[in-house]
Amino acid sequence: MNRTMNRLFITLFCLTFIAAGCAKKEMVKSEEPVTELPKAVETAPPSKTPSDLKEQVIPETSAVKEESLDEMTIESVPATQLKTVYFDFDSYVLSADARDTLKKNAEWILKNKAVKVQVQGHCDERGSAEYNLALGENRAKSVIKYLQALGIQQERLVVLSFGKEKPVDMGHDEAAWAKNRRADFALIK
Amino acid sequence: MKKIASFLIVILLIPVLLRAEQNYLEVIAQGSKQLPLAIAPAISLGGGQDGEIAGTVGEVLKFDLTLAGPFSVISGTSGAGQSGIRPGEFDMAPWRAIGAAYLIKSGYIASGGTITVEFRLYDVARGKALAAKRYTGSRKEMRRMAHSFSDETMLAVTGEKGPFTGRIAFVSRASGNKEISVMDYDGHNVQRLTRNRSINLNPDISPDAGQIIFTSYKRGNPDLYRTPISGGSVARISSRIGMNFTGAWSPDGNKIALSMSKDGNPEIYKIGTDGKLLARLTKNDAIDISPSWSPDGSKIAFVSDRLGSPQIFIMNADGSGVHRLTRSGTYNVNPSWSPKGDRILYSRLHPGGFQIHSISPDGSDDTQLTTQGRNENPRWSPDGRFITFGSNRGGKEAIYVMRADGSSQIKVSRSGGGDSQPVWSSRR
Repeated sequence: MNRTMNRLFITLFCLTFIAAGCAKKEMVKSEEPVTELPKAVETAPPSKTPSDLKEQVIPETSAVKEESLDEMTIESVPATQLKTVYFDFDSYVLSADARDTLKKNAEWILKNKAVKVQVQGHCDERGSAEYNLALGENRAKSVIKYLQALGIQQERLVVLSFGKEKPVDMGHDEAAWAKNRRADFALIK
Repeated sequence: MKKIASFLIVILLIPVLLRAEQNYLEVIAQGSKQLPLAIAPAISLGGGQDGEIAGTVGEVLKFDLTLAGPFSVISGTSGAGQSGIRPGEFDMAPWRAIGAAYLIKSGYIASGGTITVEFRLYDVARGKALAAKRYTGSRKEMRRMAHSFSDETMLAVTGEKGPFTGRIAFVSRASGNKEISVMDYDGHNVQRLTRNRSINLNPDISPDAGQIIFTSYKRGNPDLYRTPISGGSVARISSRIGMNFTGAWSPDGNKIALSMSKDGNPEIYKIGTDGKLLARLTKNDAIDISPSWSPDGSKIAFVSDRLGSPQIFIMNADGSGVHRLTRSGTYNVNPSWSPKGDRILYSRLHPGGFQIHSISPDGSDDTQLTTQGRNENPRWSPDGRFITFGSNRGGKEAIYVMRADGSSQIKVSRSGGGDSQPVWSSRR
């Protein structure tokens, strides 16, 4: 510590002498009446008002196309006829219970040939929002794979992940988390 | 001895470091010796007193420069040299007497809705003005004028401007739904950018601070949208089947790295700012998300669970040379590469929840920066000296800022809770 201090002192002393030529001059200067700096007038952005800023908005490039809202919006209603399936923590593997539920769901979907089903994957609040979006998608895809194996055409099944954004139970314990790790079903309008 | 040594060092450093300004901040940060900076109350330069301007200017300067790092801000300086702000118009001796190394003087003129605020930064020992700026604008711009001079003060003392005129875009649940909002970095002037009552996530700001990209469920599917930071038209730029999420502007502003699941599972792609597909960067059965560019645009840090659990990886910007960065912790996410290129922030899941870590891009020197509550989604200030992040330590989710070394953690959200996923724009 002392040695470091000494070294620092020596360095600082040297630097001070190096700087001295100029420093001395400035010391003398400060004895004289202090002259005003050239007036700095900031005419750049900081003085702009919010309405000025709005006018500076970068226009959308013509390459960006807004697609038709009607054509692209996916609207769905909860499928009350289809039962929710649940998952273990950080897993998208279907349990025996989940497979039983899906068999019943599949029967209804096969009977109602006109419907298109959206499978919505969800997660509990643990883990990051981003990673849970991916995990929720994997859950929905597990369900869809199984439904396809039960004879439902791929075109009738759509994946959507909500990650941890739509919990059914707002609690912070295992009971709440177990309810939130799920795949829900909706019918696409 | 030690005390005298510290004192002497400070005295000796002043002339030396004012000449070698570039190295100044680093010296201070390592020795934790802060230089006393006095902020004189703003005075009227004509047209009468205005308590709001005086109070606001003083409050903003104090907040910015206390967070800044190189300074210990001296308050309670009434009585010392109130008259005039220009060199020669006031007596420097009282400021010297209270031990100030730096002094900020300011004055204002208010006429109608327009105000002019003028600032001076002085080196007290030499009696010399280091920076002088005058700002004119509407009353609403009052805070921004003061932030702007805080940036200038950092420039004069450290050789690099501060980030205090930058804004923070974030996810706000103030309306009940997750919408994108933007605020000054200190939590003031909140403006909502989306009102679609859907779920809006993962904002990222273009390097020129003009545009924001984010993921929204507004049309049912998680698609990527782009909107000017000042509000206005919203363009959908990627609506490929499956998820279009965790978008990140490239440092040159010409491209976006984005995770999409259109080819079966989340992979990272490069797209143009108009949404045009440029390249696929990852290809495997695992989840690949959350890209973050190195400042030179040559590399991308990202999250992958290809080895079982989510970890931070680095690849070249063309997808080659993938290697794992984080080697401890079982769940590491949200990488953010520093603007200077020397550090990568990330969130690690500890038994009690997420904490923020900082690691060197070569995998060495992994340091935990937070301990209180749960803390995640760290992002750098544009100058790399500060970090903004989301924390629930106060009981509710809020946006916080701190210095790059984890010191001076302070809440900036002023809402009743539900603020998350902040990102700090470059200065205006």
